[in-house]
Amino acid sequence: MAMTVKLKVWRQAGPGQPGKLVDYVADAVHADMSFLEMLDVVNESLIKRGEDPIAFDSDCREGICGSCGLVIDGIPHGPDKGATTCQVHMRRFKSGETITVEPFRAKAFPILKDLVVDRSAFDRIIAAGGYVSMNVGGAPDANSLPIPKDVADQAMDSAQCIGCGACVAACKNAAAHLFTSAKITHLGLLPQGEAERDRRVVRMVDQMDGEGFGSCSNEGECEAVCPKEISISNIARMNRDFLKAIVS
Amino acid sequence: MTPPVLSSSIGSKFLIALTGLFLFLFLVSHLAGNLLFILGPDAFNHYSHALISNPLILVAEGGLVAIFLLHVFKTVTIVVANRGARPERYAARKWAKSKNDRSRKTLSSTTMILTGTITLLFVVTHLATFKFGPYYETAEGIRDLYRLQTAVFSDPGYVAFYLVCMAVVGFHLWHGISSAAQSFGLDSPRWTPRILWVGRLLTAVITAGFALLPIFTFVAGRN
Repeated sequence: MAMTVKLKVWRQAGPGQPGKLVDYVADAVHADMSFLEMLDVVNESLIKRGEDPIAFDSDCREGICGSCGLVIDGIPHGPDKGATTCQVHMRRFKSGETITVEPFRAKAFPILKDLVVDRSAFDRIIAAGGYVSMNVGGAPDANSLPIPKDVADQAMDSAQCIGCGACVAACKNAAAHLFTSAKITHLGLLPQGEAERDRRVVRMVDQMDGEGFGSCSNEGECEAVCPKEISISNIARMNRDFLKAIVS
Repeated sequence: MTPPVLSSSIGSKFLIALTGLFLFLFLVSHLAGNLLFILGPDAFNHYSHALISNPLILVAEGGLVAIFLLHVFKTVTIVVANRGARPERYAARKWAKSKNDRSRKTLSSTTMILTGTITLLFVVTHLATFKFGPYYETAEGIRDLYRLQTAVFSDPGYVAFYLVCMAVVGFHLWHGISSAAQSFGLDSPRWTPRILWVGRLLTAVITAGFALLPIFTFVAGRN
């Protein structure tokens, strides 16, 4: 079914430059198109007219890589629960509707162009301590390293974090606590990462604060937009680990 | 100067939660003491005399002021830093709660700085009205705070003002109590729903208790 949507898209020529919302009309949009495919169609028409296409990030378009990320009508990754932007389809919108598309906004995520932001602050948080520094060998044999099921579940649930940055985009304080705490949980709950648990949390939190992210108001908007539905229980664990690490 | 740990995002929130907890415990003891008003002038005035004539009260008051100021100072610092973490606002902004009910965002959680500021102003007027207010004496020669309270709350406008202020404090606690638990790192799948529930229950009890007093005083004063 063909539909037409009006778009208000944030256009910004480069880092630090002034940007503004620009109106576009996307016609001949199919309800089964993904949101990104709709933008592809808009871009094709812009290119044909000799205009600069809208810059946005995407890679796998399967909801697993974490590179796409738009704020659609005020919600990071759009209206669908537990989904990335690339998994949002045009059937979620009504024909004739106006949709506002903005980049993830945070001081620590500077806009590179239009809807593309630099999320390398996350990489620096990982580089500060989000690893296991000793050689733990290959995959251990099944049952040679017993880990309680609930602990393994918590670690694996946190390991689902794809580092897309929607948590930062949704937080009123642009805090990176959900991301950082997911990594801390994922590594700290498993025996290979447990040894460096104290050192890791202090270093990663220091880096997170230094990057200019805000602090946590415990509202859980991050959890609500997370495409992997990472729980803010991880933030409580990070608080606990950090407080424990600095007194020990 | 606060050491670096306490100026980190987590350390700051820990201090806000800790000072908030102390202030909450103060509210509990303050309410418990004030409820003696219901028992009559003797019970209330003897209690308040025992309290204000104890030399340790100065230490307690000083500590309370320090805790209160630390709570305000850390909060203001963190709010300024948080505003700076997103210099450019969104043109369109919607609560993610509409997408997924995992969000705990409420009107209370979004107005903490406003309800906190109103509470601060209230505390100043509250102290001016009572602690530094008119000095009445009983026949026994101790301060007659029962009479002062009756006089203050004989004015329905003042009763209404107090009720509004208590609602504001309740609003602050609604998010504050459970948020403090999260800042302390208290959380488990089993306990978190209970912590949220207990936070709201305590808020309701404290707010209702403090709201009851002006109403009771007003009604008792008329009879």
